[in-house]
Amino acid sequence: MRIGSLVLLAAGVVLTVAPALAHHSFAAQFDDTKPVKMTGTVTKVEWSNPHIWFYIDVKDKDGKVTNWGFSGGPPGVMMRRGITRNSIKIGDVVVVDGFRAKDGSNNASSGTVTFTDGRKVFTAAAEDTVPSESK
Amino acid sequence: MRKFAVYSFLFTAALSLSPAQTGTKPDFSGFWSAPRQAGAKYGGATVFMKDKMAAFKPGGEALFFEPRTGDPYHDEPRAFCFPSGFPSAFFAPYPIQIVQSRDYLVMVGEFQRATRLIPLDGRAHNPDIEPTYYGDSVGHWDGDTLVIDSTNFKRWSLDDYYYVNPKEYRMHSEAFHAIERLRRKDATTISYQFTVDDPKIFTAPWTEEFEMKLHPEWGKVGIYEFVCEENNRCPGGKCQTN
Repeated sequence: MRIGSLVLLAAGVVLTVAPALAHHSFAAQFDDTKPVKMTGTVTKVEWSNPHIWFYIDVKDKDGKVTNWGFSGGPPGVMMRRGITRNSIKIGDVVVVDGFRAKDGSNNASSGTVTFTDGRKVFTAAAEDTVPSESK
Repeated sequence: MRKFAVYSFLFTAALSLSPAQTGTKPDFSGFWSAPRQAGAKYGGATVFMKDKMAAFKPGGEALFFEPRTGDPYHDEPRAFCFPSGFPSAFFAPYPIQIVQSRDYLVMVGEFQRATRLIPLDGRAHNPDIEPTYYGDSVGHWDGDTLVIDSTNFKRWSLDDYYYVNPKEYRMHSEAFHAIERLRRKDATTISYQFTVDDPKIFTAPWTEEFEMKLHPEWGKVGIYEFVCEENNRCPGGKCQTN
């Protein structure tokens, strides 16, 4: 599976995803009663174990910018899905959904990353939550 | 000429067989999904089914279910990169690579890069080592079935149930004794039978059947590195500053 073919899906293709199962550290780190959905510009990508992290600058209605960190699956799980460190680039504008960190900091798990052209990348951890495609 | 062709074919076929295949022993080498119940889609963590378990001994239930305390070090030590242990690490939803020779079977799970080195030379358990997270495993052949016997464990998580239900943590005791029976069911399937013998918790040993499915495509890049300490940003729910 190559980037540009399936993982970064062509515009217009809609992904449906199963609810993200808690992964090994999810329950200890994130609060599944606090869903978040943010739009922002990617500032940094950490392609490392045990989970990838990427960061986005989010601007509120008053123009104040806050940097948020989002955790994804382990790099190996991502790469077997065809998602590599180049799938999310600094400067990309993305919409990310996930669940907020338990400590109330500006960190969250990530489920789906949506790009401005409609492409979606599923970044959650568990192997069984690979998205199924539908038109 | 025809005789030469037949001998030539047999010679070539013999060369293409691995050492393990030349006897009656199957070769388990390859990339496999973690054990799962037959028919289950490759996916989340595998857990033992409650209806397969033997009855608890008096006091066994208290040893089996570890109550949550609110202390993240206690409630989910893996969030601090503590080892998942056996069998839990090998029931996580990650690939397992098996490398087999005459004398050893090596099992490498991608999750936490958990590795088992299982001697197949008929040796007994080592009586002089301290209890460990992954135990002491020795293997022997029973016809076409590889039997792996493991003892000498610390009390630790039995399976990956916490992954499924964070409110419960299921443990084995230090008396845990595991018996795995691996057999090639078909070209792409290992029949994986797991017996839990934990006389401090259960009234009798009990067994559950699983399958491991061959994934040759995972061999293109192999098992990825998994160094938990590398960037564990929110251990126990306390995140580093962005």
